Amino acid sequence: MSAHSQAIGTAAVRVRPAPSFRRWTEREGVFSWLMVTPPVLFLCALVGYPFFYGIWLSLENRPVAKPGVFVGLANFVADWHDPVFWQVVQNTFVYTIAATLLKMLGGLGLALVMNQDFKFKNLTRALMLLPFIVPTVLSTISWMWILDPAFSVINWFLINTGLANPGPSWLGNRYWAMASLIVVNTWRGLPFYAITLLAGLQTISPELYEAATIDGASALSRFRYVTLPLLKPVIFIVTMFSVIFTFADFQLVYVLTRGGPANATHLFATYAFDVAMGGGQLGMGASIALAMLPPLALIIIAMSVYMRPAKT
Amino acid sequence: MANIIRAASRRDVLKITALAGAGSMFGAAPGRAAPKSMTMMHENSFIPAYDAYFKTPLATAYEKATGIKVNYELLSVGSLQTRITTVAETGSGPDMTLTFFNWPFLFDDKLVDVSDIAEEIGKKAGGWHDSAKEAVVVNGKWKAIPFGNVGQLMNYRMDWFSEVGVKEFPDTWDALLEAGTKLKKAGHPFGFELGHGFGDNHGWLYPLLWSYGAREVEPDGKTVVIDSAETARAIDFCRKFFQDTMFEDVLGWTDVSNNKAYLSEQISCTNNAESILYVAMKDFPDIGKVTGQAQNPKGEKGRFHILAPWSHAIFTHTPDQKAAKDFLVWLMDPAQAGGWYDVAVSYYGPYLHMFDDASLWHKEPRNLPYRDSLATSHLPGWPAPIGRPQSESVAKYVVVDMFAKACAGKSTKEVIADANAQLKQIFKSG
Repeated sequence: MSAHSQAIGTAAVRVRPAPSFRRWTEREGVFSWLMVTPPVLFLCALVGYPFFYGIWLSLENRPVAKPGVFVGLANFVADWHDPVFWQVVQNTFVYTIAATLLKMLGGLGLALVMNQDFKFKNLTRALMLLPFIVPTVLSTISWMWILDPAFSVINWFLINTGLANPGPSWLGNRYWAMASLIVVNTWRGLPFYAITLLAGLQTISPELYEAATIDGASALSRFRYVTLPLLKPVIFIVTMFSVIFTFADFQLVYVLTRGGPANATHLFATYAFDVAMGGGQLGMGASIALAMLPPLALIIIAMSVYMRPAKT
Repeated sequence: MANIIRAASRRDVLKITALAGAGSMFGAAPGRAAPKSMTMMHENSFIPAYDAYFKTPLATAYEKATGIKVNYELLSVGSLQTRITTVAETGSGPDMTLTFFNWPFLFDDKLVDVSDIAEEIGKKAGGWHDSAKEAVVVNGKWKAIPFGNVGQLMNYRMDWFSEVGVKEFPDTWDALLEAGTKLKKAGHPFGFELGHGFGDNHGWLYPLLWSYGAREVEPDGKTVVIDSAETARAIDFCRKFFQDTMFEDVLGWTDVSNNKAYLSEQISCTNNAESILYVAMKDFPDIGKVTGQAQNPKGEKGRFHILAPWSHAIFTHTPDQKAAKDFLVWLMDPAQAGGWYDVAVSYYGPYLHMFDDASLWHKEPRNLPYRDSLATSHLPGWPAPIGRPQSESVAKYVVVDMFAKACAGKSTKEVIADANAQLKQIFKSG
């Protein structure tokens, strides 16, 4: 061992600690955990804790501002025997299925149109997003006036053109009320569908269309055999989001009808809110809100199985 | 300022002296100081002058006299109950709050017993109306100090009623039906809320139910008796009243709808608070001049109204509950409360007998029926003792929907069966 080699050894010892820590943090396994931990903690605090607290609440007889008593599944049993609960289930399914289908069809159509070249294309795309950008409460208040029995612009049109007199009672008739809510929800959610599907459409290579055209495929066949299969993953994602948001919708119903007339438009979220906040029954309110979970999970699973991209 | 002097009771003086003595031994001068500020939480009043009056002169005068600043936290309409729930559950936030309806019964565990100051306030102002006790006394303890009743009465177009030969407002439901039938034919239908609003629906449907001798529950608070011949008669009347005097929209109305319809001359009669006349006189004077107000009509078993109390309560988490009590005593002193009532005309009907003939009632004599309605006003769920199940019944719109479904075409038997099933479930858990 010479003095030279000793010096090298000392130098190596001296510099080792700092790089080793840095190297340790740069290891993929460690670095990824370091990056993932803050959002996971954030999610645990703001989503996980309320979620599990909600489950706990649903198992308690828990009047507001009073200590709770564990009652097991009694709240769910009570929901099961509550006729309004079953009406809420039916309403939520009708609302979600109708609004999602309308948004899917309308959004796809809108995206296909927006994918064409035309004048003021960018401006039109930006304007299309307006219903999605305007806060729901504000836009719903505009709808409140549109559907108002006395001031409805639609009824004014119907009456003045002699099509109806008086016009329909948009929010007073149980069927019209639900239909109105579905239309307003579709109006609000359509841009989300359209813009996401448009992004999906733009990733499809034009060469595929050229090849299909050369093979003699008609416009309909190109859509059926090129566009739709390649768009399927995007449709799946956007439908999943839409189903979740529509199923758990609150603001729109709360502003327009508050669940009336006679519960015809009550959804899970509005009914849970009324029972928990208005009635001071936090446990029962939590059980109604949680009852959303199994059907929602089933829908998502069924969708993911049905719309799973075919493996090649 | 006797009330402020009261803030330092003999016991406090002893405590302060002892602490000051102990403090001086250690070179410091600690003592139980009055809080520098307190917060009162309110929902935006529909009369802006009412909220402004709290800040000036009330809060400023109190600060000048005691050095305690009283903040006024204002919430948007409809959000107070959610906020009170948060404050009560977390045990932090404002010291005092406004409560509506039967909330003292919902939040009683988190509200300070104010029986002592209620007695003091009552003595000073001629005693409390009986309905004050129904509004806030929970298990024998006053859980809030009632401030004013926002009565729900009949608002009608005197000119249109006259045109069909009805000079005085009908005294019975049957006579009102008769008048309404004529008015609808004359192009002036009635509009009574049958949808899911906060109060204008309960405001006439509970009194209608009671006036037929029907009720949800017996006074024992357990026995559900909605399935009765009296209820059936009330429902049959309501269906006819709806069909002959109203139009389909009312089934989907919320609380703003009848105000809008009345002020746009779509309807000739509704059930509402004084707000319609107040706004009409301010913004639509021509309508204001021909608007009349009357107590609810009588039914087979008498005349009834809904009790809609606005009260002030102190949260148990308030660090200095005594200071908060002193403030409420000062606030309810006729010198202060009288001015506050006056500024709101008579929108908030006092629960203190001293104000039975006060100036607030003479500014607009058409408001007098609101004063007279207090004796026949009750909370939803009456005559059972008020509690949590009644809140659940109201939140689930059991009574409102029973009537609304009948008006929309369901049979009386079916709607009573639905309400009966719901109430049995609710009162079993109560």
